[in-house]
Amino acid sequence: MFLKSVYNECLKIASKPRSYIGVGAITLIIGVILFAMKVDGMTYISFITAPFEQSLSFVGEILNGNLMAFIILQMLIIHIPLLIAFVTGDLISGEGAMGTIRMILTKPISRTGILLSKYVAGCLYTLGVLMWMALIAIFVGKIMFGTGDLMVLNSDGLTIIQAKDVGIRFIYGFSVAYLALVMIATLSLTFSCFSDNSIGPIVSTMGLIILFTIIGTLDVPVFAKLQPFLFTTHMAAWRNFFEDPIPYEKIKTSIVVLTGHIILLLSIAIYKFNKKDILS
Amino acid sequence: MRKFILLLLILNSIFFENSFSQINNASVILNSIYKKSLLAKDYSASAHIKVDLPFLKMLPINATIYFKQKDNFKIDSKSIAILPRQSFNQLSRMLENPSTYSSMIQSVELIRNIQTTVISVIPLSDTSDLILGKLWIDIDKKLVLKSQLTTKNNGTILTEYFYGYNAEFGLPDQLIFTVDIKKFKIPKSVSIDINNSSSDKVKKEKTGKIFITLTNYKINKGIDESEFKQNPKEK
Repeated sequence: MFLKSVYNECLKIASKPRSYIGVGAITLIIGVILFAMKVDGMTYISFITAPFEQSLSFVGEILNGNLMAFIILQMLIIHIPLLIAFVTGDLISGEGAMGTIRMILTKPISRTGILLSKYVAGCLYTLGVLMWMALIAIFVGKIMFGTGDLMVLNSDGLTIIQAKDVGIRFIYGFSVAYLALVMIATLSLTFSCFSDNSIGPIVSTMGLIILFTIIGTLDVPVFAKLQPFLFTTHMAAWRNFFEDPIPYEKIKTSIVVLTGHIILLLSIAIYKFNKKDILS
Repeated sequence: MRKFILLLLILNSIFFENSFSQINNASVILNSIYKKSLLAKDYSASAHIKVDLPFLKMLPINATIYFKQKDNFKIDSKSIAILPRQSFNQLSRMLENPSTYSSMIQSVELIRNIQTTVISVIPLSDTSDLILGKLWIDIDKKLVLKSQLTTKNNGTILTEYFYGYNAEFGLPDQLIFTVDIKKFKIPKSVSIDINNSSSDKVKKEKTGKIFITLTNYKINKGIDESEFKQNPKEK
């Protein structure tokens, strides 16, 4: 019954036009980025290499498909949460707004089961969006720019990763990025349980992301103890896979913090949904 | 500035006996080095490049280098390679025309237990990119064991040369470039890694090294000029 419910929720997501806004936006944004890089990519590269070029020269294909995928992931990981929240923020509150939640609850499945089936469907949607992004970023990027070593600029310098090592790092990187997006999906689903319209959870999710990002970047002592526990601090954890050596301890901490947030928020969502008065 | 350095060198030399003969000797030595560099009309070699710079993390890479007189140079690499701007043919280009520079023997120093003559080279033209060159030369074998070139555009680079089977052509088996890195600054505006603070290591270390080991030399086998068409990959 649970799997059938998940299947139904997936169909519901697939039938809503808003589900394709994210996919369409990602396709358009990636298209624009790839076009801009094809036309004027070396100017962008010179921002990175300029400080070193007085004494050093770079030989080889710096502008390649791997770099494109990295740039796209880096740019879009900030915006994808909004596109995810568009769908996952609507999962419960949308039913409430349409007055269909009462009918759903007549199914022979517990409220927790219904919520979890919606949650699983939301996670699958998130996976689909991320996979789509990875597919066009990596494959179209490689078709347009070819393959090669990946040059990454971190805060303490340049890291050049050999082409043969890049694939596995992308797999791990996308996996951690997925965990961060699942965290966003869980957050918006939780907000969705508290609301009867879709806009509230979506705006609340984005508002919280913006607030935590600002707190995380403000270099003031009062926030220093709080920053390690904010989920926004760990949303860029995927980037650690592109450092050398890979800081596994840091990644582990990020995974623990993100998973902790997911469990906590999902528990709140389950509790709230089970206690929720269905009045519409 | 250049004239001042030249004046200092001349003043320094007047304290030595036979100063003019020293100037002449320096020119003769440099000419012999340049002539030796002409023995290899063209060559190719496999290069193993290891970069050890505080701001850069990368594994060693393999490449192939091609050279043809008088200044055709190309490097082929599937990986991203980082080389000093003053690399393989800078020295021979500098020594190409003796009328463009003034040279003088400075001292005698031991390098790797080999007695070397230290020669300073100062260009005569104000428009020259080179500001000052210093060469440590093994006169017996006519080999440059160390060089320090200061240029307007590329800063100062110290190069150590290690020779093996191809010493007769003046071609080294290994080059170690010491690069001054204190002027490198990471452009944070293009790094979104907002949660990482900059490492102190980059700030403390002053120099970095690039090691290039050359093997499989193919000397004077003939390389077509078309091989050296502008390499679009090089930045």
